[in-house]
Amino acid sequence: MKTLLRQIQDKGFTTASAGAVLLIAAALLVVLIPMFGRGITAVIFTETVEFRRLQKDLHGRGDNEHLARALADAAAVREPIYTMLREFSEGIDTEPLVKQARDVYQKYGEYLNYHNTPKEQYSDYRKQAKDVRDGLVDALESDDRQTVLDDLDAVLKEKDNPAFADSPAMEFFAMAQRYKKIAETVDLSHRAEYLTNLQEVTAAIRQLLGPLPGEPTPPLWMDQYGATRLDMALKARAALLYDEQWISDGPGKPMVKHIIARKEQFAGTPLEPLFDRVEADWDKLLQPRLRIYWQYFFDDWVNSHYFGGVGPEILGTLLLTLMSMCVAIPLGVISAAYLVEYAGDTVWIKIIRMCINTLAGVPSIVYGLFGLAFFVVTIGAIGKPCILAASLTLSILVLPVIIRASEEAIRAVPQTYREASLALGAGKFRTLVLVTLPAAGPGILTGIILSLSRAAGETAPILFTGVVAMGPIPNFGSPSQWLENPGSLFGWLFQPTRALSYGSYDIAVGDRISMLAPHQQFGMAMTLILLTVALNVAAILIRSRLSRKLRGC
Amino acid sequence: METPETVPLKKTDAGHAARPQQFAQAAVTESSEAVISARQFSFFYGAKCGVDQVSMAIRSGSVTAIIGPSGCGKSTFLRSINRMNDLIPGSRAQGVLAVNGHNVYDKRTNLVNLRQQVGMVFQKPNPFAKSIYDNICYGPRLQGIRSRGRLSEIVEKCLRDAALWDEVKDDLHKSALALSGGQQQRLCIARTLATRPNVVLMDEPCSALDPIATARIEDLIAQLKGAYTIVIVTHNMQQAARVSDETAFFCLGKLIEYDRTEKLFTNPSKKETEDYITGRFG
Repeated sequence: MKTLLRQIQDKGFTTASAGAVLLIAAALLVVLIPMFGRGITAVIFTETVEFRRLQKDLHGRGDNEHLARALADAAAVREPIYTMLREFSEGIDTEPLVKQARDVYQKYGEYLNYHNTPKEQYSDYRKQAKDVRDGLVDALESDDRQTVLDDLDAVLKEKDNPAFADSPAMEFFAMAQRYKKIAETVDLSHRAEYLTNLQEVTAAIRQLLGPLPGEPTPPLWMDQYGATRLDMALKARAALLYDEQWISDGPGKPMVKHIIARKEQFAGTPLEPLFDRVEADWDKLLQPRLRIYWQYFFDDWVNSHYFGGVGPEILGTLLLTLMSMCVAIPLGVISAAYLVEYAGDTVWIKIIRMCINTLAGVPSIVYGLFGLAFFVVTIGAIGKPCILAASLTLSILVLPVIIRASEEAIRAVPQTYREASLALGAGKFRTLVLVTLPAAGPGILTGIILSLSRAAGETAPILFTGVVAMGPIPNFGSPSQWLENPGSLFGWLFQPTRALSYGSYDIAVGDRISMLAPHQQFGMAMTLILLTVALNVAAILIRSRLSRKLRGC
Repeated sequence: METPETVPLKKTDAGHAARPQQFAQAAVTESSEAVISARQFSFFYGAKCGVDQVSMAIRSGSVTAIIGPSGCGKSTFLRSINRMNDLIPGSRAQGVLAVNGHNVYDKRTNLVNLRQQVGMVFQKPNPFAKSIYDNICYGPRLQGIRSRGRLSEIVEKCLRDAALWDEVKDDLHKSALALSGGQQQRLCIARTLATRPNVVLMDEPCSALDPIATARIEDLIAQLKGAYTIVIVTHNMQQAARVSDETAFFCLGKLIEYDRTEKLFTNPSKKETEDYITGRFG
């Protein structure tokens, strides 16, 4: 009976501990898988021809000929869409036309002046032109089809007027002709409605295909291209094909979302076929295809992470992490060796050990503030937030972890090792360097691995001490500069840098443009995890090689 | 066990003569035969007395076994000879313990030189996590020998002396930890020999080994006898009887009897010794 109880106890404990481990693993996966799943879309995604154009313009990547052919293919199917849009918008959005009519009238006046028209004739012609113009403007501004058609007919009657022959005024009649065609098809009484919808359609087309032909080049890169990725293109297509409206069924009733096809909104107008066309020519319009954008890890970003990659962030994080390790590892290991091998067990050493343990638990923002106060403000030689100040702050942050792990590792080296070395006539220092530290290597490396990930991921300590959300890439100078001025070899230490951890924070909360590109937000977080994992894997490989050597396999 | 390759052990190595034997000048007038001589030597761990007023002289080139029950101070005495007990905080020594006529507990004693002269083999084989070659070279390198040819010579000689050469000559650069326990212990002996000591202290060198490995170590001790003065602490009385010329019996920190092995085991002069070796002790 007792044996059975013991067995049950044993099994129960085994199951419970296995369950706990599984739970942790599952929690980790629940966090990591979606993050990776979304982050990876920053690297592997379906590109469009717009993306290829962007890469060509920005980095000169891709084959010129192929791109030109693809763009020509795209232009061939885009052209009819643009034409439809232009013609329809001329009928609806008449403001530009009114302005054009006034311009034509002014030009006609200049034309008359230029040809030295006699004074009486001049004022007569001007008056006639003014009538035509007013007639046209009335037609353009009217909502009633009959009025419009009457006005336009009146204008068109003047077409053969000798006063306007071969003058800029002929443009009036061309305009009238075009507008007449539109007025015959479009329901002008709903002009205001059409106008709003048309603006939405135009915006969607701009998002999808880039700026319309004839428009000036927008100043921002993000506006100069259409949808560069299929997921963004599909969003723009949905906005183009369907209108989302919140409509209440009656007074007091809640608003309900209605999805209305644009095709119905524009039924009967010349714009109607546009929507079918977009759907039919979809593949040719954007030519989507799979892309592995590995340059994501090297490229700088453009327009607040709307385009581009996280290269400078990776570089900055690596610099900060490795620099802090360069400071923290020697300092930590030497301190640990002193504490274990030399210090003895006095009250002071106990106090120091307690301080180290306390430091390991101090919140990282405290280190950040300390770094700001001490490295940035107090130490005049640094004087401003920079890589050096940030890495020193990070190294202080990870120092307790390294000291504690190294202390344990050094203490765990069997006494027989030390005795063997001492018995062979080695001094204390040689024993430490030649025997104890190598034997403690794997344990020390464990501490280093822990602190490496911590240093790479911490945001608060570097927040005030050397990291920026946007700024130049650290400048390492060139060999010729180093020769000229050896000090410039370390110039990068005194420059601020970008980092993945702070970048992830900034891109998630502070940046409105990057919010339009969620793949960038997840991509940055994923890169940080990948980088940490890569650093860890490297350290673990070194550790396993070391311990294999120590075990003698 | 005698291998034809084993070169005769002679301390004719040129380096030995050249090695400075700078010890404290507190000369002890003993018979020139005695390499190690203790006079009223006591050793304390704090207030506890580990070795109590021991006086004995160990002949050069002999094998001396120290036997006794656990906690009798035999290991403490052995480790005092090359001052390995210094590592224990709060320990101190009284009286005289001289090696080659120089008191090792003199303030001026150079520990590095002392330990090079008095090598030690420990209870558990403790090779470094390095290659066999590097293990042997550890001592010579500390002495400043850098030349590869010289080091290789030392490695071969020491491994031959330790009867390990034939087994490992092709694997010199493999990790020492890949060897078996018995091989590791012989490697440790070879490593000790590489510093060219006069005295080799062995602290229960076979207690972690199986009988076959033990037999080989015992053969090795027999081979080394004469060239080195060996002091061996052991719990195994048969072993003491087999390998040693003289045997010392310690009990409760005191030296009870010290005599030729044959005599001590066949005709002990003290009652305690007889009780112990016949198993009536305690």
